[in-house]
Amino acid sequence: MKFRRIAAFLVSAALLVSTAAVLAGCSDKDEDNTFVVGFDAEFPPYGFKDDSGEYVGLDLDLAEAVCEKRGWKLEKRPIDWDSKDMELKSGQIDCIWNGFTINGRENDYTWSAPYFDNAQVMVVKADSGISEVEQLADKIVAVQADSSGLAALTGDDATDENKALAATFKDIQQVGDYNTAFLNLDSGVVDAICMDIGVAKYEIHQRDGDYEVLDKHISSEKYGIGFYKGNTELRDEVQETLFELLEDGTISDIAAKWDLADAVCLTKDSKVIDGDDSASKTFTEELAYVCKELLKGVGSSFAIFFFTLLFALPLGLIISFGRMSKFAPLRWITKLYISVVRGTPLMLQLLLVFFGPNLIFGIKLSSDYRFYAVLIGFVLNYAAYFAEIYRSGIQAIPKGQYEAAEILGYSSKQTFFKIVFPQMMKNIIPSITNEVITLVKDTSLAFAIAYTEMFTIAKQVAAAEATIMPIFIAGVFYYVFNFIVATVMDMIEKKLNYFR
Amino acid sequence: MKLMETKNLKKSYGNLEVLKDITMSVEENTVVSILGPSGSGKSTFLRCACMLETVDGGELVYCGEKAVTDNDGKAVYASKERIRKIKDYFSLVFQNFNLFPHYTVLKNLMDAPIHVQKRDKAAVREECMQLLRKMGLEDKADAYPYQLSGGQQQRVAIARALAMKPRILFFDEPTSALDPEITAEILTVLKELAAEKMTMVIVTHEISFARNVSDHIIFMDGGVIVEEGSPRDVIDKPKNARTKAFLKKLEH
Repeated sequence: MKFRRIAAFLVSAALLVSTAAVLAGCSDKDEDNTFVVGFDAEFPPYGFKDDSGEYVGLDLDLAEAVCEKRGWKLEKRPIDWDSKDMELKSGQIDCIWNGFTINGRENDYTWSAPYFDNAQVMVVKADSGISEVEQLADKIVAVQADSSGLAALTGDDATDENKALAATFKDIQQVGDYNTAFLNLDSGVVDAICMDIGVAKYEIHQRDGDYEVLDKHISSEKYGIGFYKGNTELRDEVQETLFELLEDGTISDIAAKWDLADAVCLTKDSKVIDGDDSASKTFTEELAYVCKELLKGVGSSFAIFFFTLLFALPLGLIISFGRMSKFAPLRWITKLYISVVRGTPLMLQLLLVFFGPNLIFGIKLSSDYRFYAVLIGFVLNYAAYFAEIYRSGIQAIPKGQYEAAEILGYSSKQTFFKIVFPQMMKNIIPSITNEVITLVKDTSLAFAIAYTEMFTIAKQVAAAEATIMPIFIAGVFYYVFNFIVATVMDMIEKKLNYFR
Repeated sequence: MKLMETKNLKKSYGNLEVLKDITMSVEENTVVSILGPSGSGKSTFLRCACMLETVDGGELVYCGEKAVTDNDGKAVYASKERIRKIKDYFSLVFQNFNLFPHYTVLKNLMDAPIHVQKRDKAAVREECMQLLRKMGLEDKADAYPYQLSGGQQQRVAIARALAMKPRILFFDEPTSALDPEITAEILTVLKELAAEKMTMVIVTHEISFARNVSDHIIFMDGGVIVEEGSPRDVIDKPKNARTKAFLKKLEH
């Protein structure tokens, strides 16, 4: 009896819990008092992760103040900056509030009134001897992808003066985040970083290295809060509260806390920006533009693909010999190598190959090294996988084949090339096909060190155009590429079907 | 003339002594059959004689040339070049044929004579075609091994061994992987070779075949030669109890 009662209790408890969960899920949707702010967690001082692991920053403080006033619950949602439009369109976030530049994006979002004035400046190493922007001629300048710095130098609305300045640079290198930018600066791959003054102040304060901010402001622009286009209702609520916070001095208090008091530009007369719809491109125009941009990256993606195979296929064979060597230390070394390469992310390996020489040995790197770093990383990684495939292919060959070769007097070289190699190739073609197809997709990982292959471009275009289409088009490109690869591998496999 | 000779051949796997003191010889133009239950060491002996396995002690001599000499109970192998030359004296036909699956029948035959023995390509082709004709397989010259039956594959394997022009040919249970009716097909080929005075050493379970074709029978058990002599002596009138027991078992 007792057991039955316990069972009944457990069942009803389970029902209760699940019902509560369903109800909770519903109520969450209905009473919409959660305010979800999307921000780039790598963008101090506006929004970032502090040493205790909390998301903090000037913009998050402002958002918190707005929520307090409104009686909302603030949800801080760190997002991938390149995916901000998808996050906004899909309703995952209510707004982008994160040192978000209005200039150039006026028509892409429903904007709050500009609340912050942001200048673009150049940061160089203190010992570089550069003190004027004119001295950046023939130098390489890093900017964050889709950042105000990039727009100020090369965008459609860039001033003639800035365009002329940018033309003197040797190259403008787009990087994913400022941490990478400073790594690039430290290692000598780039000579300057063009960035927001607020970020520059914060970063230099945080880092041990000696840097200098050049006096000249490349450009000045306004920060605003971006809402999904047409969501004026929410925007107006937030804007109203911001005016109240301006009135009672909260905004200037928060700005002062982050040492940016003189950058506040919100006044009681500031106007919100609704943007203009007629400026947007038609779908076909957009598609043509995206395809044109992506095609620029196809060559780079193919280069990674081709050279990786060219070097990794033979290198893998050599490594597999080491792995099967009778000399034990060689066997252990190759085993460790394969285990490390297979056990860590390729992206991490690329970062290590690219920044390692500088971080570990202090070698100053040339910018050409970027492509070689991608290749070295990919070749070392893929060779490890190929080595294991070769090994399995070789070990699948019956012992009798070796014995027959020995009885017939073949040398070990003849045995390998005449008997083992052709049979191994047939054994491993399906596994190799798998790896080759993975390689096509993996080429997109080169974005980790800002090598501009197709996917990097797709993300940049997606960010710049405020549309996710380029990512999908890139997917189509990868599929077509892989369809060709699979067809070719299939032909090779059929060709090797002459024996069994 | 003795084409092959072993003296006190010893072989152990760890603590297991597989061959204990095997001393035997093979006269030119004769057929020697080695019989014995499984685990008797007869296949190991053949593999040691063909140098697919190394021996621990004893002597191994081909055509008067020492491949292995005994140094105080320890086997010492001759230099690599000498071994290479000595290996040319013999060939081996495997139980599982071990044809090269990616080569055609003809290439299986021709490749080693051309690339190992460096013989003239045209002459080798002519000889190999002749061997295939002899094996009744001339129409299969361009076929791949997987397209052949087991019996055909074993005939190709025999032809491949013969193409190397060995002075002595070893067979390691050449019919064990084949159906009974195909076994007969292979035994006929071996009989023909015996009739042509090919020197052969055959490890087999086919007692009646061994009696018909062999000049000399060796019966092995427990890593030693228990009994040897003419087929008449060893098979029809065995003296040793173990030989008797083995032959009696096979009758049933």
